[in-house]
Amino acid sequence: MGTAQIIQNLLNGISIGSVYAIFALGYTLVFSILGIINFAHGAVFTLGAYFTYTLTVGQFGINGLLSGVSLDTQLPFAASIIVGSIFAGFVGVLLERLAFKPLRTRGADSLLALVSSLGVALVLVNVIQYLVGAEIYTFPQEVYGDIKPAIMFEVAGEIIVIRTVQVIIFAVCMVVLAILGYIISRTKAGKALQAVAENQITASLLGISVDRIILFTFFLSGFLGGLAGTLVGTSFGIAGPYFGVSYGLKGLAVIVLGGLGSIPGAVLGGMVIGLAEAFVPPDYSAYKEAVAFAFLFVVLLVRPQGLLGRSLIQKV
Amino acid sequence: MDEFFQNNGFLIVVMVQQTLLAMSLYYPLMAGQLSLASPGFYALGGYVAAIIGTVEYFSPWRDALGWGVFPLEWLIAGVMSALLAVIVGIPALRLKGIYLALATIAFVEIVRVTCLNLDITGGAIGIFGVPQLFESRWAYIWIFGPLLAVMLYFSYRLERSRVGRAFKAIREDELAADAMGINTTRYKVLSFVIGAVLAGIVGAMSAPFLNTWNARQGTFDASIAYLAYVLIGGGRSIWGPLLGGALLSALPEVLRPLKDSRLIINGLVLVFASIYLPQGLAGALGRLKLVFRRGSRPSGGGA
Repeated sequence: MGTAQIIQNLLNGISIGSVYAIFALGYTLVFSILGIINFAHGAVFTLGAYFTYTLTVGQFGINGLLSGVSLDTQLPFAASIIVGSIFAGFVGVLLERLAFKPLRTRGADSLLALVSSLGVALVLVNVIQYLVGAEIYTFPQEVYGDIKPAIMFEVAGEIIVIRTVQVIIFAVCMVVLAILGYIISRTKAGKALQAVAENQITASLLGISVDRIILFTFFLSGFLGGLAGTLVGTSFGIAGPYFGVSYGLKGLAVIVLGGLGSIPGAVLGGMVIGLAEAFVPPDYSAYKEAVAFAFLFVVLLVRPQGLLGRSLIQKV
Repeated sequence: MDEFFQNNGFLIVVMVQQTLLAMSLYYPLMAGQLSLASPGFYALGGYVAAIIGTVEYFSPWRDALGWGVFPLEWLIAGVMSALLAVIVGIPALRLKGIYLALATIAFVEIVRVTCLNLDITGGAIGIFGVPQLFESRWAYIWIFGPLLAVMLYFSYRLERSRVGRAFKAIREDELAADAMGINTTRYKVLSFVIGAVLAGIVGAMSAPFLNTWNARQGTFDASIAYLAYVLIGGGRSIWGPLLGGALLSALPEVLRPLKDSRLIINGLVLVFASIYLPQGLAGALGRLKLVFRRGSRPSGGGA
């Protein structure tokens, strides 16, 4: 592998890795508060991409209830992606009220939250299919403005090609991570979130409305999931209502690798898995999909608390 | 009546088959282990049957054994599943709760991607033209039905045996079970292996039944479907997977007239069942029975 190839893989890896990171943060925020995994997160990812598509393009194909519909008002892409992700955030809030809160108030087995969130995922995915069909939707080239499709430069006599979309995705993810970092560590709501993650009862005794923080967390989680979906959609297209499923599963590998509930861990895990996938040799590229799960399996066996997680203390 | 079975035979066999797969997830759960590995073993078993049934190398076996090759496939699928379950189970079962579930999801995905890429498993296309054991689909009830009966009897005996009590002790409190001298690792792996062998055999029976086998047979979706069967049926007794598997696997068919919206309803059923039936259907029926008993013997309630 030449230097140019290594640099190429590195750049591809950090671009997709940054999307894995913000997507996985959506899982990790919910896990840090409630200790459960929201299996509908992959569906929210899909939904976010469709929301943005609807707002900015608004033309539908030949299948589903909305077949042939084309909306007149189109928002600029920058506005659509924000509004679309906010919608996804509200879906996250709805999800918490529908699938998680009833179980929590009853103190039910946390396994049931797994089933109910999957039920919601099934509903969301099939509602999408019902409305717009199972076909592929792609964002037009010019959503990011009038830019060249690729940037080329030369290293050690070899040419490296970077798709401009990849650069933009990486930049957007970094900005979002910075804002999220600010919200969580500097604002009152963020500090309340940390307090609730640490100990719900103590937090509520200190006057924090745990219920509102949970809603806030689900909003953030949905926002991040929807945003990640849109970014992947602009890069590879929206490959039908089920396209979030594989990202949903990979996101699990990311959070376990980083440490369940650890925010820096989710970012590190996303980068590690993005890079590992990028460095899979072309001959074995069909096994790329298994890389994340090989990591997941090995990490669970060797270091179950993940790279940056706190080790669990077993209480008797 | 004949017509009924002709029309609904396929569905009934699928219900029995799905019930068996739900049971394969129930055995580890009996020992408190949330394993979602069943689809991996189910896929493995199916590939064993599909490969023995179609690959040229095995044609002398098929010629020599006739229909006897089918039980041989079940046996080989069972043995291979058991071996793989021991290899995967010993390290994986050190994990608890959601961590074990995630590890088994990873196992299922690794099996799926591997099968998608190997030549012997037919790659993405899979294996077609797996020889049939029976001519009609409905006739497969004669293998799935007896297997279900055997597994029910097995479960009945298991619950009342030393092993079954050890499983339950681990489920209730692993530390206490360990302190009482139960070899927890051994019993946890055993519960995992029982589930894996059952899933493998069901897979080996299903490949001829479906006539074709591919990597879509063992997916994360299947893991979740089986888990839903068990939890919505009720995870505390064998009646749970039995009820849940039969009813929920029939649900998409029953809802077929609703066409596109049937999976939406299916999803809503999962949400509402997990919210309103915390002990599952079996638990709800059990409570109902209790209410009726109290009703007929009012003095019993006050004691």
